Amino acid sequence: MDFKAIYDHLRAVDAPGLIEADEPRLPDKETKDKGRSGMPFVRIEPASFVDFLLVCRDDPKLTFELLVDLTASDPAADDENLWVLVQLLSVKHKHRLAVKAYLPKSSASIPSATAVYRAAQWHERECGEMYGITFVGHPDPRNILLPDDWVGYPMRKDYEFPKEYHGVSCE
Amino acid sequence: MVEQTQEYKPSIQPSEEGRVLPSGEREFFFDVSTSDLEVNMGPQHPATHGVMRVLLRTDGELVTGAQPHLGYLHRGAEKIGENVEWLQYLPYTDRYDYLAAMNNNLGYSLAVEALMPGLEIPRRATLIRTICAELNRIASHLIAFGTYGLDIGAFTPFFYAFREREWIQALFEKICGARLTYSYIRIGGVFNEAPPGWLKEVEHFCDVFEEKWKEYYDLLALNHIFVMRTKDIGVITPEMAYDFGLTGPMLRGSGIDFDLRRDMPYMDYTEIWEAGAYQIPLGSGEKGTLGDCWDRFDVRVKEMIESIKIVRYCLGVIEPGPVLGDVPKVIKVPPGEAYVGIENPRGELGHYSHSDGGKVAVRCRVRGPSFVNLAVLEDLMPGTLLADSVAIIGSTDIVVGETDR
Repeated sequence: MDFKAIYDHLRAVDAPGLIEADEPRLPDKETKDKGRSGMPFVRIEPASFVDFLLVCRDDPKLTFELLVDLTASDPAADDENLWVLVQLLSVKHKHRLAVKAYLPKSSASIPSATAVYRAAQWHERECGEMYGITFVGHPDPRNILLPDDWVGYPMRKDYEFPKEYHGVSCE
Repeated sequence: MVEQTQEYKPSIQPSEEGRVLPSGEREFFFDVSTSDLEVNMGPQHPATHGVMRVLLRTDGELVTGAQPHLGYLHRGAEKIGENVEWLQYLPYTDRYDYLAAMNNNLGYSLAVEALMPGLEIPRRATLIRTICAELNRIASHLIAFGTYGLDIGAFTPFFYAFREREWIQALFEKICGARLTYSYIRIGGVFNEAPPGWLKEVEHFCDVFEEKWKEYYDLLALNHIFVMRTKDIGVITPEMAYDFGLTGPMLRGSGIDFDLRRDMPYMDYTEIWEAGAYQIPLGSGEKGTLGDCWDRFDVRVKEMIESIKIVRYCLGVIEPGPVLGDVPKVIKVPPGEAYVGIENPRGELGHYSHSDGGKVAVRCRVRGPSFVNLAVLEDLMPGTLLADSVAIIGSTDIVVGETDR
């Protein structure tokens, strides 16, 4: 199925937490809209993250068996939201779906997807240490790439690089 | 490095009941209490193929738990991507899966090109890209083939594999000047035209490699000792493969027929598939159980010969023409977000690129297949013997540069 058919189907089965489709659009000079190229997304509410993924995995017309990627993004230092981005892939129907959820930076928290896809486990650990997102219900929320005593969330846009690490100057 | 978690109390007592063997002899068991040991495999263990540590919990010869510890090679590639220009990031892509740098270049270039709808890639550039990516896949699988034999104790195939890989590296050196970190496939096409006679040399390589490949297959894949060491070990069921999000040979080794080149085509792979140029090898459980170490190894080795067929097809249809599209010196990418996944030797290499219209990316995400494929180890190892743990880690074929990025 193409994106439009997937989105219509998600609307038809009343997928929990589905907000809107975010599709590429052409630039518009009158409204000074720069437009957007690339690929379409669906945006969901963070609270229904797990229920939405369950529908995606178990619906016979969607059957997204693989959670290919789960990552986060900090669009700008002055933006109040962080994004959580999920890429789903269906081996049976050979289609993809990109899912996006907005989390406020002040309290970035989202239910953990590990109960639906165990592939999410390491991705969520990485997002947690890099962006400071709490994945509620994660079985093992330790750092994965960074040392356990790392201060701050390096992938955030307002991150300040450390001046020293364990007495070694970084300047 | 070995830490004893409990006090060791030898209590060797023959049990009262024995077992009668078929020969009529009586065998007695001894109640030997072996305390749990935690063994650090790595960070400098040859079987981890890089700086990675697996914390093994063992009970005698039995592995009861395994926990990979990563991050020794973390260089912050994604953060660097947010601080350098689009084209400047290209050399960094070489450095995550350093055994398949051409494929990394390709994945990144395609992800940026997905945001530039006006950019046209010349046909010749696409074909040269395909040839380079497939040659690099062969080189990468040759390493997997050679080092897997090495892990298990077969020394000879390693040298044969490196001989052929050396040839591929020499070919790459001729086309771009580098032997490992190429930065050759770039946004808009490829960096330069192939030198005169290069395509002929590639054809010669294909002729020779096809002959050699048969020898290698018989030498290692069908070797009795090798089969005994790898069959029925580290079985990944299809459900497990789905659950852990495995891709590439790890997924196909479990018998799942999915290849991004055919099923979610990019570049001109549709045309090559429709021309019937190649097949997709799958694990079949031929020697043991479906999804065991041997199946995964077999898929990799057979993929090499399919890559040769793709290269041959491209050599047949390639025509003179430009190799680089119309890209400016400083690339400005229109605003937008795109995720592009390509079939790397190890699985799906995904690039998510997000641009706000400037010279620098807002987000430059890399989804490395090794990182995802390694996670299955925590489930695969418990219940196996210590000697098999090396066979299982080797069969995941990870590159630590990519798990840590």
